[in-house]
This record gives sequence, C-alpha cells and structure tokens, in this order.
Amino acid sequence: MKKLLVFLALVTGLGIVLNFFLNSYIQAIFISFMINAIMALSLNFITGLADQFSLGHAGLMAIGAYTSAILNKEVFSDNWIMIPIGVIAGAIVAAIAGYLISLPSFRLKGDYLAIVTLGMAEIVRVVLLNWNHVGGPRGYNGIAKFPEFFINYGFAVLLLFFTFMTMLRLKFSWFGRNLWAINEDDIAAEVMGLDVAKTKRRAFVISSFFAGLGGGFYAHHLGYISPGSFQFIISVQILIVTVLGGLGSLSGTIVAALILTFLPEALRSLPTGGIDIRMIVFPILLILMMILRPQGLFGRKEISLGFLGRLLK
Amino acid sequence: MQEFLQHTLNGLSFGSIYALVALGYSMVYGILGMINFAHSEIYMMGAFAAFYTARFMGLDTPSPVNFTIGVLSGALLAALIGFCVEKFAYKPLRKSPKMNSLITAIGVSILFQFGGQIVFGADPKLFPNLIEDRTLFTIADISIHLIDMLIYFVSFVSLGILSYIIYKTQTGRAMRAVSTRPDMTPLMGINNNQIISATFLIGSALAGVAAVLVSIKYPKIDPMMGVKIGTSSFVAAVFGGIGSLHGAVVGGFLLGLGEYYLIGYGASTYKDALSFLILILVLLYKPTGLFGTTRKEKI
Repeated sequence: MKKLLVFLALVTGLGIVLNFFLNSYIQAIFISFMINAIMALSLNFITGLADQFSLGHAGLMAIGAYTSAILNKEVFSDNWIMIPIGVIAGAIVAAIAGYLISLPSFRLKGDYLAIVTLGMAEIVRVVLLNWNHVGGPRGYNGIAKFPEFFINYGFAVLLLFFTFMTMLRLKFSWFGRNLWAINEDDIAAEVMGLDVAKTKRRAFVISSFFAGLGGGFYAHHLGYISPGSFQFIISVQILIVTVLGGLGSLSGTIVAALILTFLPEALRSLPTGGIDIRMIVFPILLILMMILRPQGLFGRKEISLGFLGRLLK
Repeated sequence: MQEFLQHTLNGLSFGSIYALVALGYSMVYGILGMINFAHSEIYMMGAFAAFYTARFMGLDTPSPVNFTIGVLSGALLAALIGFCVEKFAYKPLRKSPKMNSLITAIGVSILFQFGGQIVFGADPKLFPNLIEDRTLFTIADISIHLIDMLIYFVSFVSLGILSYIIYKTQTGRAMRAVSTRPDMTPLMGINNNQIISATFLIGSALAGVAAVLVSIKYPKIDPMMGVKIGTSSFVAAVFGGIGSLHGAVVGGFLLGLGEYYLIGYGASTYKDALSFLILILVLLYKPTGLFGTTRKEKI
C-alpha cells in the first residue's frame, strides 16, 4: 500500500512537471515512451518468456488502433470520454486476431511463428491500404483525442501500469513457470504433461491483447493513423527495445524503452540527409548486442525496489 | 487466351527470378537452420554492385559483352558481400540459440537498407542499358522479348551450374553432408566453416545474378528494392519446402505464375498479400511445403 502511494505521488509529480514546466515536444516523447514500453512488454511476454519469435506486432497494433478509431468515430461520435472503451475493444479484437494467427503457427516447431506473424502483419497492412472507408493509403484522420495533456498522460500511465503489473503477476504465476519450462526445454516440458502448443497459444493471445491495447492508445494519442504507421520496421523497433532490455525481463524492457525513445531524439541533429538516424543506430546496436551480450541489459532479472533501496544507502 | 499466355510468360520470367533468390534462402536454411533475412539486401547490393561497376568501367552501350560483365560483376560482388556478412555477423553466433542469429539477420537487413539510403541515396537510380531489348519473334500475337529469353537462359545456366556443384563435386557432397549431420561431418574431415562460407558464396551469387537480370528488365534500382522480391522468394522457398533445392525452384515458378495471374486478372493491389496468404495456407495444410521432409526429433 505504501509502495503504491509513493508510486502514485511520483507519477503525479512527474505529470505536473511535464504539464506545467515542459513543452509539448517533451510531453509527446514521454507519451511515445509509454506506448513503446507497452508494445515491448507485450512482445517480451511471447518472445522473452515463451521463446516464440513474433515479427508481426505492428500488425496487431494496427488492428487495435483501427478498431478503436473506427469504434470511436462511428459509434461514439468522437466523444473522448468513450476512448477507454474503444481501446479495450481494440485490444479484444487484437486478441481474437492473435488467436486466429496462433492456430497455424504452433503446429510446427521452430521459426514458423515469426514467418506467420510477419505475413499476417503484411496482410493487415494490405487490407487497410485497400479499405477506402478508413482512408486507404491516405490514412484515417481526425480521431478523437483527449482534450488535456494531463488526462492523456494519466490514461497512458494507467495502461502501462496495468500492462506491467499483469505481466509481472503472470511471469511469477504457474502460467509463467510453464512458459519458462517451454523456453528452457520444450521436450522436457511436454514429457512433464504440459500441453506445449496450447500454452504457447494462450501466451500469444495475451501478448496480442496488450499489443492491441498499445495500438488503440497510439491512435488516440496521435489522432491520425495510416497503414504506413504499421510497417515491418515498427515490429523491428519493438523487437529492438525488447532485446536491449533483456528477453524475459519486464523492468529491463521499461528501461530499454526509456533509453531507445530518448536517445534518437538526442541524435536528431546529426547530418544524415533526411534518413532516420534510428535506423542506422538501432540495427548496429542489435547486432553488437547479439554478439557481445545476447541476454540483453538485464537478462531475465527484474530490478527490485529493495535493490534500488540498497543502492541509495 | 492470348492474354493468358502473356501472363504465363511474364509469370515464368519472374518465377525464374524468384527461384534464383529462393535457392539462397533454402540453402542457408538447409545448412544453418536459420532464416537469412539479409538475403534480400544481398540481392539489392548485387544490383548496386553491377550499377557501379558499369559506371566505373564506362559500360553504357548495350552489347552482349557488357551484359556478361554486368551479370558477372553483380554475382561476384554479391557473393563477396554475402561471405562478409556470414563471417562478421553470423559466425560469432554459430553456437548461440537460433533466435539470436535470426535477430542479427534482421539487424543486418535493416542496416543495409538504411545504410544504403545514406551511401547510395534514397531516390531510385537508372540502371544502365546493358542489352538492347527487342522483340525476337511473335507467336500467336504474343511477342517474345529478348530480355525475357535472356532471363530464362541465364537462370537455367545458373541452376545448371548450381546442380553440378551440389550433386557432382566434393564441395557439394560436403554441403549435403553438413546439412544432414553437422555434428558428424568434422569427423569425416570436413571443415564446416569452409562449407558454410561456400554456401553463402553460392547463394549470394545467385541473388546477384537475379538482381542484375531484374534491373535490366525494370531499370530503376533503390536501396529498398530487395524487400518485395525477398519476401516473395522466401515464401516460394517455404512453399516448395524450405531446405529443399528442387522445392525452391518449383515454388519460385508457381509463385511467379500466381502473382502474374493475380495482376493480370484485376486484383493487383492484393499482389503483396498473395504471397503471405499462400504462406499461411501452406503452413496450415502442408507445413513442410511441397518437397520438404520432417526429421524425427530424438531426445
């Protein structure tokens, strides 16, 4: 309880600082940090814990974003109070999509999930490109936003907190241990009586749910989405955050999202002739990371508050 | 009927390109068990290598000699790049889990795409006209172009050389051995590292040849050109049964035909989705592909 109060006080303090003392540029970076963190946590659940490689989280994000945006515009007539309902609906639709994707993916062992999710994300993108009702290639404009930064910020914190706590509880539950067993040795897990395919499917559905959640919020944060916002490269960016933080470490993912959202902004002034500098720095980081420290910054470990306390003493 | 034949010809011509690129995916998967995401970028680099060779050697007039030099330079330099990628990015990860090399491959691929945009520039470049395209002959109102015939011819020659290497030489025998039992081959005196390097050299050279052929037919090259062909070829490899060389060739032709019929009969905007739809259907109903085999896993 005390921890929760401290956390709330910190978050509110940060919100007040952001709202009154910093400009909208920093505010927007902060919100995009939280979106990145939600997406990376969602990917970490399936890739880090269960060792199943997904390359289609941008597609799931797109499903969440478009569902939420369409629902808000067509059903709730741009009422911003209804945004949370739309976001949750987006997450549910993404979870259903995740279930459908998981059906063919886990029939074989190996990298097939990566291929199928990659394909699914492309199919989603092509369908959106051809769907004129939602703007096709021009994108979907005028999505309802929160009127105040503080509400936007509060909702983002709530979503991130919800995602993080759910994942943390799941990681140390019997379900998380099942996933860990599959990660370590799936044959042994199967011999112990675990339904490996079913467990993987469930993990993927949970992961899809949170990817949809992040996508839905993304739509209402920016107010504009287009098929171009959900390209393969976005899935790769999410993957880089996850890998840097450590596959299986949830708090590491948050730290990595923080680093990888703010670092490119600092590098923005470098002369690259209009090419996004992130796309050079990130892959080099990814390759070096895999060769020098494949477990990521934190490996499977979590940063505990007790550890932080000891550090401060 | 005439339209159908025209689509068939186009499909087969693109199918042979897919086959060449798909072979690279399939060979690497067969020998290392990893999906080489950077293969599409090696293809792209092949096109740029030929472009710069032609520019520095001043080859801007169409002639058979220039065409040959273009194709060979594309193949050689692509092979060199593939070799370096394997040495610097994949070899340090040989012992680590497969997911790590997959992630590295994605990193290499993105690095080439965006590094290419910085080095070569993001806007498309005009590929030099290395051979004069003309209509060779006309059958039943279908004109057969020289460039299409050359694509068939060069692809078949490359496939011939490949199957000679794989099935008739010591290196090829060693390659097949390494792809079956990589743990046993060192005991038979095979240097696995050399064989893996050879696989990358050959696969990348095929991609380089394909890139030059495509660039001559559609003379606009840019650093993102590999993405589309790369994904389609990869699907072709999975469709034919990844790891199987015959499968890659058959899958390439079938996918090329399928895409051109789809374009020809209306649904061209869905062309990019077709390959993935095929992929998902294949994984649902015949996950090993047309010619793939499953290996029994022993504990």
